[in-house]
Amino acid sequence: MTEVELSPEVSEYTEVHRHPEPKGFIAKWIFSVDHKVIGIQYLLLALVAAFVGMGLSLLVRLRLVWPERSFGILGDLFPVGAPDGVMTPEFYLAMLTMHGTIMVFMVLTTAPQGGFGNYFLPIQIGAADMAFPRLNMLSFWTTFVSFSFLIAAFFVEGGAPMAGWTGYPPLSAVPEAAVQGIGQDLWVVSIAFFCIASLLAALNFIVTTLDLRAKGLTMMRLPLTVWTWFVTAILGLLAFGVLLAAGVLLLMDRNMGTSFFVPGGLVVSDKAIDHSGGSPILWQHLFWFFGHPEVYIAILPGMGVTSHLLATFARKQVYGYKAMVYAIAAIGILGFVVWGHHMFVSGMSPYSAFVFSVLTMCIGVPSAIKTFNWIGTLWGGQIRFTSPMLYSIGFVSLFVSGGLSGIFLGQPTIDLYFHDTYFVVAHFHLIMGVAAIFGMFAGVAFWFPKMFGRWMDEGLGKIHFWCTFIGVYAIFGPMHYLGMLPHPRRYAEFTGVDYLQTGSAGELHYFITIAAMFTITAQFLFLFNFVKSIFAGKPCTEANPWEATTLEWAIPSPPPHDNFGGKVPHIYRGSYDFSLPGAKRDFAMQCNKDEAVYGSAAGGD
Amino acid sequence: MTTTLTQTETRPAPTANGSGAFNGHPPGNGDGGRRGPFSNPALIQRYKLGVWVGVGGIVMFFAALTSAMVVRSGLSNDWQPFDVPWILFLSTAVLLVSSFTLEGARRRMIAADWSGVRLWVNGTAALGLVFLACQLLGWQALSARGLFLASNPANSFYYVLTAGHGLHLLGGLLSLGYVWLRVRAPQRWATREAVIEAAALYWHFMDVLWIYILGLLVFWR
Ligand code: HEM
Ligand SMILES: [Cu+2]
Repeated sequence: MTEVELSPEVSEYTEVHRHPEPKGFIAKWIFSVDHKVIGIQYLLLALVAAFVGMGLSLLVRLRLVWPERSFGILGDLFPVGAPDGVMTPEFYLAMLTMHGTIMVFMVLTTAPQGGFGNYFLPIQIGAADMAFPRLNMLSFWTTFVSFSFLIAAFFVEGGAPMAGWTGYPPLSAVPEAAVQGIGQDLWVVSIAFFCIASLLAALNFIVTTLDLRAKGLTMMRLPLTVWTWFVTAILGLLAFGVLLAAGVLLLMDRNMGTSFFVPGGLVVSDKAIDHSGGSPILWQHLFWFFGHPEVYIAILPGMGVTSHLLATFARKQVYGYKAMVYAIAAIGILGFVVWGHHMFVSGMSPYSAFVFSVLTMCIGVPSAIKTFNWIGTLWGGQIRFTSPMLYSIGFVSLFVSGGLSGIFLGQPTIDLYFHDTYFVVAHFHLIMGVAAIFGMFAGVAFWFPKMFGRWMDEGLGKIHFWCTFIGVYAIFGPMHYLGMLPHPRRYAEFTGVDYLQTGSAGELHYFITIAAMFTITAQFLFLFNFVKSIFAGKPCTEANPWEATTLEWAIPSPPPHDNFGGKVPHIYRGSYDFSLPGAKRDFAMQCNKDEAVYGSAAGGD
Repeated sequence: MTTTLTQTETRPAPTANGSGAFNGHPPGNGDGGRRGPFSNPALIQRYKLGVWVGVGGIVMFFAALTSAMVVRSGLSNDWQPFDVPWILFLSTAVLLVSSFTLEGARRRMIAADWSGVRLWVNGTAALGLVFLACQLLGWQALSARGLFLASNPANSFYYVLTAGHGLHLLGGLLSLGYVWLRVRAPQRWATREAVIEAAALYWHFMDVLWIYILGLLVFWR
């Protein structure tokens, strides 16, 4: 086994057992138990899924503004959904459903947690791997199976499901209602596998964080990235089991004649449906009990990365580290008691609506604390405007913009009007969709030199940032206005609706579609930059090119097998010791003893 | 076994089997690996923590089914109560006994009597299989009464809950199989105690879960 050169930053360390490196391509890259390889596998899966999901969103936008137009190639690919290249309304719904499902589950839930979390959580806490490496491998491959099932839904008879990413019954539960074939079944099965994979992964993350921290790394010294991965894992553990249960019941309603979610007396396409007594609202409760925590599962790791990067590139301590930790925890806890705000129009009692509304407003408090602390971190810092920093600042901007509309939606009286309109679409795309994706961009740009030992192109990165940042506001900004008209969401066409013909609704839709095409094109800049840099980027030989403080920067780039080569650093300080007064440099790594920071004579704190 | 070194000191050659626990935490030992014949309390703690966390997830799964059942039973007038088949009480007894036999295995483990462990584990697994057989007989008894999965929501939940528990118990049986493999050549596996402790914890939880489900089926009609 090759000896690993230990960084001179490490003041003291503990010798631990080392593991032999895997041999052979399959053990190393396919069925690997190495958390770093698994992390990259998750990232690649998310990358593929993101581009598929983006392509689908393009179809959706095209159909909206050119409902009659023929796109030749679609006719060849989907002879049923798009005969002669003209998309049917059903096809529109199917693409919309697949877009949402792929983006929420396969991108937002995999990359931030499974990808970056897997790769960097063990390193940042000084562990050689996750607590249960084989379980980790199982999680990834179960996710892969889930993704395969979902993609298979495109190609089965009857085509992809149409019930939306929320899978509301009775549309999703009655085969006669929408998809005659097994597309919707595949959707449910895919989600079920995804739940199992996420549960196993959550277990692994929790045990790893609690049990494998290096000496001296107390909970209150953890990097905020680790905190968010940890709390995200707890949310996943408590939420995915509920979705799994709901999915099992839905599958039985579809195939085994039970009536959990299907009401009696339903007539579909002139056919009486043989079900009785079930409740679609029951599904909504189960789904959103999962669904609201899920939106935080998507965003929390992005918050962690943002906090981490703002401090690193402003050369300042995270403003209010403790408050940040408590805010993360509060968001996690409150996230479980607000699901009803998705169901204000479901006929719930006004008293419940009031309670859900008040609790929802409460979540605004920790969210605001985080935002203030991000701004406090930036305030007066010596900001280095690198591309990862730009993405992080973009995250803050998008989070604020999207969060503000949430406050309106959280009022039942206002939501009666806004529910199921483009206003909601604008809200959740800004805050969940795009903000979380900016967190991922930030993570890629920041950790790329560590993961691959090469640099991404800074110039391209900045161009990509500005194109995307302007692009997404151009897409989702106008949607607020459309929502106020109110333009309903999930409609394949708006021609023939009088109030949408007057004024600028039509032109805005054109504008949005053009902006979408522009933004989607810009993503190929990122793809090009990413792929090119893996193979031909400028080599990065330094261990700590960003002058950052956490443990991953104390080991070579890319990290060796076992991360620390059997020598685990001891930890002496919190994770964001930038600009310490009296210190020799403007940062102190977590593994630096005071003597190393201040010079042997001074010491002190 | 822990060596703490500073960068300035000369480093001794790493010990051949330098596994170490500091703070009671072995840093990143992965799945444990082979580490001599000594038991490893840190590893046991990690595996048991894993089971406890898993219990959290499973509880949420059954909590969701419970709330669905409670809501569904109050929704419309198609809910028809029925008596659970008597064989469920037999299966309950069998499952309870199996927890004691597994404790027997743990006791043998502490005495380092590995063939004794295997015996008790075999016995536990056999009881587990008997339990599953009883559950199947329960299904049969119900369908003999003409109560199938889709006959009535009360029946639907009966089948779903028992099947859900049965599948989780099957997982417990698999883990007993894993224990069995690990204690066949006990000297080789540092994980053996951890696996036994974790499997036992999980198995006892299966008891508790079953009693809860039985209570639900009997009393929430
Ligand atoms: C200040 C905090 C927030 C408040 C008050 C809030 C409020 C709401 C409300 C009331 C709705 C339901 C609107 C309707 O369907 O009529 C909603 C929808 C949604 N929110 Fe938020 N939200 C907040 C933050 C977030 C965050 C942080 C995320 C994700 C990271 C998020 C993601 C979503 C999504 C995905 C939907 C739509 C789901 C769907 O119907 O498809 N929200 N929000
Ligand atoms: Cu919500």
